[in-house]
Amino acid sequence: MNDSYIYVIAALLPLTSLMLVLQSNPYHALVVRGIVGAVAALVYAVLGAADVALTEALVGTMLAIMLYAVAVRSSLVMRLGVVAESEAVVKAEGDRDLQDILDHLRSIVAKRHLKLELVSYPNEKALQQALIAKEIHATCLKSEIESQPYQTTTRVRHLYDIFQQELTLPVTGLAYLSAED
Amino acid sequence: MNLILIIMLAILLIPLYEAWQDDNIWQKVLAFSSIASKTSIMILIVSILRDDWMIGVVGVIILSVGNAALMLLAHIIKRLNDL
Repeated sequence: MNDSYIYVIAALLPLTSLMLVLQSNPYHALVVRGIVGAVAALVYAVLGAADVALTEALVGTMLAIMLYAVAVRSSLVMRLGVVAESEAVVKAEGDRDLQDILDHLRSIVAKRHLKLELVSYPNEKALQQALIAKEIHATCLKSEIESQPYQTTTRVRHLYDIFQQELTLPVTGLAYLSAED
Repeated sequence: MNLILIIMLAILLIPLYEAWQDDNIWQKVLAFSSIASKTSIMILIVSILRDDWMIGVVGVIILSVGNAALMLLAHIIKRLNDL
């Protein structure tokens, strides 16, 4: 075992691990985790542990990435509840205000690597119940005030703090609904 | 014979650098697929140098399974953009 290339191959493992640790976007980290798995399988095979290399490739790269992808995909989403008819209006490009609010919300949560998912409900009562039942994180409703045609309500304290800083559109108000357990 | 592996290692550093500096997720996936193929070919070369069939079989399995995992991963990432 006096082959000089072994040292170079072994040096790849800390190098790729450092790359993985330095990723800030979870989806990028997911792909780099696959690279670490491939390099680790190479190191184990070169050092003579063929069984460990096979396990690393099957479990470490394939299974771990699939489970991690599902976990990241289901948790890094902000669910915004809207009334069904206003969602249809947005699709028809009729309501500029709501479209602007949604675009603005998307750009705010995209900075935190979140995605915005629209959930439509038949009426305002079902929307309020869904917010209390923790099915959605926030609602966007029409309000009666003339200068502020929309009202965004969230039950997540952290989201409220973020929106208070950055949601500067004049067409929507912001409210916080404290969850009573 | 060691020279072949040293050259392959130098080639392996190219997609590694690409995965590190590019911020587009699809470029990263491409670099991942490149690295996965290159490392399994290197495992095959090592198995031939040492005349070790056990490592050779593992290299072939990693070469074929790596592609399956990559396709599944690409599907999940593609569906993320539809959200």
